[in-house]
Amino acid sequence: MNEKFLKKALLIIGAALMVLVCLFPFVWMIIISFTKDATFLGSPYVRFEFTLDNYRTVLSDPTLHFLDYFRNSIVIATIVTITTVMTSALGAYAVSRINFRGRLVVPIFVLGVSMFPQISLVGYLFKFIEKLGWINTYKALFFPYVAWTLPLALWMLLSYFSQLPKDLDEAAMIDGASRIQTLYKVILPLSAPALFSTALLVFIAAFNEFMFALLFTTDYRARTVPVGIALFQGVHGEVPWGNIMAASAISTIPLVILALIFQRYIVSGLTAGAIKGE
Amino acid sequence: MGGARYPEEKLAYGMLSPMLAFVVLFIIIPVLGTFWISLHRDVTFIPGFKFVGLDNYINVLSKREFWYSLFVTVSFSLVSVGLETILGLAFALILNERMKGRGILRAIVLIPWAVPTIISARTWELMYNYSYGLFNWILNSIGLGGVNWLGSPLSAFFAVVFADVWKTTPFMTLLLLAGLQAIPGDTYEAAIIDGANMFQRFRHVTLPLLRPVLIVAVTLRTIDALRVFDVIYVLTGGGPGGATMSLSMLAFNYYNLGDYGVGSAISIITFLTVLSFTVVYLKVGRFQEGLK
Repeated sequence: MNEKFLKKALLIIGAALMVLVCLFPFVWMIIISFTKDATFLGSPYVRFEFTLDNYRTVLSDPTLHFLDYFRNSIVIATIVTITTVMTSALGAYAVSRINFRGRLVVPIFVLGVSMFPQISLVGYLFKFIEKLGWINTYKALFFPYVAWTLPLALWMLLSYFSQLPKDLDEAAMIDGASRIQTLYKVILPLSAPALFSTALLVFIAAFNEFMFALLFTTDYRARTVPVGIALFQGVHGEVPWGNIMAASAISTIPLVILALIFQRYIVSGLTAGAIKGE
Repeated sequence: MGGARYPEEKLAYGMLSPMLAFVVLFIIIPVLGTFWISLHRDVTFIPGFKFVGLDNYINVLSKREFWYSLFVTVSFSLVSVGLETILGLAFALILNERMKGRGILRAIVLIPWAVPTIISARTWELMYNYSYGLFNWILNSIGLGGVNWLGSPLSAFFAVVFADVWKTTPFMTLLLLAGLQAIPGDTYEAAIIDGANMFQRFRHVTLPLLRPVLIVAVTLRTIDALRVFDVIYVLTGGGPGGATMSLSMLAFNYYNLGDYGVGSAISIITFLTVLSFTVVYLKVGRFQEGLK
């Protein structure tokens, strides 16, 4: 009895702490985004005074370029997601269904490569992209992002495709379907949940990326939200925290809502991507 | 011949080629290119790209700044992954229990993961602010006085660690939770019949059975922590006095100064450090077996 009570008490305290730890910076972001900036000046702490000014400024002041950054992020993340999911589905299908020399090596190679530090690519990549005249274009981010998100997508789809019985393919092929037809008429429709969770994780990864975007963009034409927010500075020294937090909240809330709605997919996707064989 | 053994080989290579093209062109070649640059004197404001052999490496390895940065990076990874493992394990144990509201708790734990790193770093930056940050407001209101979080070496180091731990713990939690759920319930029942209490069960049943997942998760997170950049770029830029200067941040600074030769040499050393952990990860993960 005693142990049961102790366990329950530990659980409740633990759960409460967990909620507090996970939520407070996010909640603080939201609170400050609704707080009047002026209260920061010369104040020992934030005096909360509700306002929508921060949101209004961020969404309407064209010199801040927030809407440009936001559009760039959405467009780039979307085209990267579509390309990555299509490319990795082809690859995952080949590895899970076709016997070829190097079948065991290819996915391990791709997975290993994804562990490289970003900094070890940017020295050369920067010069390369500069030479191509791609600075400040979507292309400068599109190609590296696809390469960067492919390994995770490949492993997620691979772990899903491997669970689908091979009889499905054989039946389709006896009916005269080619490999490619089997993939998009049989395997892909059956893999909708896996494709969806892969797409979600790739989208969030592309939306989050910072180092490439920081180096390969210098103005609003291709600059993404993370770079915009990292470099957001006040004109006269004082950092406009209210504006920064409003911009942060606008960019974060859609991602958090996606994560909350589709948490089941995200959890299975992340674990499949990291630890094979469930 | 091989062609007869695997009649569909050509098709397989065709299906893999778009993926491999992206990886080779935008990861493999850039890494090799950075290595190439590291063997040259390549400084924006000094004319001439010149082969210098290992000079950049000798230059880097003879700098105190580099060794300090290596020390900072390794300490950061150890402390950050250590804290994250303890916290992640605690969270996973909580989420593994049957109780009311478990679904909501599982959703909440994902929030730090969903917040973009740069955005979470800026929020932490604001909370650490000396004059109007949340932490000093709390410290001031209980009469302890403020701390200059990002201004002194030790507190800046931990400030960066905490921000990183917050962001990355959900991932650890999810991996460990998946590991916990794979432990069959009857092992616990057997332990209860044998009279093991809650702590003995954790020590002698949970931990040993969770070990393989724990090792994979820790290695994976260590690989990630060794290349830390975003959080540091926003919070401290590597300061004060190099106290939070990770290898990635140091290399980035050299690129920013226009010294691509030295920046590339540091990048390649970072690469080799991470690569050694990657090999361990691929070995302990037993990925090859999963494919058979």
